[in-house]
Amino acid sequence: MVLTSFAFLIFFTIVFAVYYLVPGKLQWMVLLGASFVYVLFSEHPGLILFPLAAVTVTWGCLRLLEKVGTDQKKRRLVLWADILILLGILFVFKYSRFVQGQSGGLQMAAPLGLSFYTFILVGYFIDVYNGIAKAERNWGKVALYGMYFPLMTSGPIVSFREDENSFFTAHKLDYNNLTYGVQRILWGFFKELVISERLSKVAATVFGNNADYPGAYIWVGVLCFTLQLYTNFSGCMDIVLGVSECFGLRLPENFDTPFFAKSISEYWRRWHATLGVWMKDHVFYPLLRTNLFIQQGKWLRKKCGRKLGKNLNTWLAMFILWFSVGLWHGGDFKYVIGSGLLHWFYIVLGEATLPFFVMVCGKLHLNMQSKGMDLFRILRTFFLVNIGNTFFRADSTGHALEMLKEAFTVWNPGVLWDGSILELGMSLSDWMVVTISLIFVFITSVMQYRMAEKARANGEAYTYHALREKMAAKPIILRWTFWMVFLFVVILWGQYGPDFSAAEFIYAGF
Amino acid sequence: MTKKQWLKICIFVVLFVWILMTVTYVLRMSGKTKDRFAGFYAEKKNTVDVVMIGSSPVYPCYAAPYIYGTTGISMYPLSSSMQLPSAGYYLVKETEKTQHPDLYVFELRMYSGRANDIVANPSHIREVTDNMKYSWNRIDTINTLVDDKDSRYTYYFDIFKFHSNWPNLLNPAQWRSWTGSAPEPLKGFDMASRVGPGEEPDVADVTETLPAEALQEMYLKKLLAYLQEENLNALFIVTPYNLDADKQKQFNYLEEIIASYGYDTLNMNEHLEEIGLDWSRDFQDGGGHTNAAGAQKVSQYFANYLQEHYDLTDHRGDAAYRSWDDAYALYQEQYDEALQDIARRVEEQDFSTSVNDD
Repeated sequence: MVLTSFAFLIFFTIVFAVYYLVPGKLQWMVLLGASFVYVLFSEHPGLILFPLAAVTVTWGCLRLLEKVGTDQKKRRLVLWADILILLGILFVFKYSRFVQGQSGGLQMAAPLGLSFYTFILVGYFIDVYNGIAKAERNWGKVALYGMYFPLMTSGPIVSFREDENSFFTAHKLDYNNLTYGVQRILWGFFKELVISERLSKVAATVFGNNADYPGAYIWVGVLCFTLQLYTNFSGCMDIVLGVSECFGLRLPENFDTPFFAKSISEYWRRWHATLGVWMKDHVFYPLLRTNLFIQQGKWLRKKCGRKLGKNLNTWLAMFILWFSVGLWHGGDFKYVIGSGLLHWFYIVLGEATLPFFVMVCGKLHLNMQSKGMDLFRILRTFFLVNIGNTFFRADSTGHALEMLKEAFTVWNPGVLWDGSILELGMSLSDWMVVTISLIFVFITSVMQYRMAEKARANGEAYTYHALREKMAAKPIILRWTFWMVFLFVVILWGQYGPDFSAAEFIYAGF
Repeated sequence: MTKKQWLKICIFVVLFVWILMTVTYVLRMSGKTKDRFAGFYAEKKNTVDVVMIGSSPVYPCYAAPYIYGTTGISMYPLSSSMQLPSAGYYLVKETEKTQHPDLYVFELRMYSGRANDIVANPSHIREVTDNMKYSWNRIDTINTLVDDKDSRYTYYFDIFKFHSNWPNLLNPAQWRSWTGSAPEPLKGFDMASRVGPGEEPDVADVTETLPAEALQEMYLKKLLAYLQEENLNALFIVTPYNLDADKQKQFNYLEEIIASYGYDTLNMNEHLEEIGLDWSRDFQDGGGHTNAAGAQKVSQYFANYLQEHYDLTDHRGDAAYRSWDDAYALYQEQYDEALQDIARRVEEQDFSTSVNDD
């Protein structure tokens, strides 16, 4: 059941109605039941056994953890048992082919939301182990945490210690929750159906026939894919968070205007943020706290000096972190490079060469704090992200390198204005729709970015729905006209229906 | 939530549904079938004497304006290409919402067709369902006509199909039927000047019977039972065309069923001499459907038949039927032009083999 399908809208409407009709203390059970139904209506309903097994293992280990008390050795044994079983299943499904080659490994479909529920459950268990989350004794509640249906498509990777109460407390039907939630769902539909589905055709044409479309075509294809990926993934998140908002649940944001990031590090704090937080909390910091890294840090500081030694130790830990991030995206080197190690390289190179650039800028009398420099940094970061996305979308690492070679060596900018890009799968009206829509997304993003910056400067908390609150304060005629027009923009410009084969959400494959 | 908030939500939803319906009516596929259905909805209440239901033989072979002009009988074709026999029952129900005709006429050609051939092409289903106004009857029609349950929602909400026609919103012609209804100048008649000579059939002596497909027979019986139950007057006809002996046997079989319910049939293939069709110039596609010249002959014969067998009122001169007078005037004008075109085509041997040729 794709989140943008008519079936999902009907399903959501029914769940929503039942959710608010039952007594508050039963609401979480409605969500649990709906989550089971959601998985059972997926392409491979039988695979529900895997998330159920993961939940049961986690629940069982939590019970064991309580039983062993303060015995650190046994506690650690239970921790590793939970992690190994859950990550073992993930490994078998996602990475056996990576290890054995494309022809080997498990040749079957992976359970829905495998990476997401595995990380959520593992993260939760580690939090309980570390004493920062409460061990849940109710199997159903652990199951809801691992299998809450909106999260089963593409996350976000929620943290139980933050979201426990909102899941299990009673929620009254609230006008703001409902209207803001529906507005956000609509925003997600807009990004996915109006923009992403159209751009996917250009990306498919260019990446599928790069020999016929070299040079500027490749840049167009890569740019379209980057924008497709953003509108697809963030659109999916908008639907997930909007659906949850309707239930009175506030889930963590996964996106925060990522293309306005001035560095790769900042980009990853703004793009798929919950994965970054999870990786830092459960891979990076624990890694730095291991004996190996502590001893290695000491040795490096001694050999290379205090600052460089510290940096080298951190960069080594970051190498493992980024390798893991890349690997999380899929069992293929193209992900390990494009979504992992290439970004590690960018960050390390940036940090290592920073003093040099500071010196150059100083000599050239360039103001490092100027708006022009900020714009340069934003464009540079966006460009580097596009290079990484070439690996992400290409068939293989070799394919990506071949495309990048053709992109840099073939000079044919004329194709951008001689009508040639109309051969790439989008008609003139499609390009017009996409351009107008992207301008609208851009303006909205600028407004969000400014509001967030202002809130940060004032030491206030910024919430994603601040913009909707601003709209809600406008006169009713104005805002109703806006939402009605926007609704029909999605209905009329959306790519869906009997003559259209809708693509899945890209991150649903992870 | 407060009562005021509930009220706001309800008003917004009602407004949305109304705009959605209007936009869908505008975006629905333009064409003669859309105009024909919209024209039917635009007819004044209880002014149509005869409603003819059936497939492609109906709208090019029976000139409603001519029948009105010569007899004063108002007849409207609620027909579409390859119309499924199962649709007949629902189109009667649809008719009864605004009209109570003295007579329903059902064209039988599709009852001798193979169900799979018709159902295989969803556009034939959509020609009916996508031209009906939103109602429970439309939902029932979809539930019967569309076998694939998973795709039914795209028929209930046909915006799923037509939303990509959005550039048409800028075309003023598309807005003509924004309410789902708009007057049809020729009262649903499709004036054709194509010429496609056909071979005259000789089936008048064929008296044997051959069963029609079980599914078609079932839908015919369902329709007959409903007509009987509602005490509605009906006539079942076969329009002239180059049928073979097996088809004639099937029509004989269907006639027996119809007679058992107490309804009349008229197989015009048994009256070709009286109709006086010239098979070398009166058809547009090799003998399947008449052109304007053939349609006038068939209409003349049928109008006489109606006058002889039914007590139908002559509305000519009635102010409520002014649009029918206008339709007849337009018909005469276009008919003269069509005859000239037909003569030219015959002379130049410019022949067609399909109704889609031109």
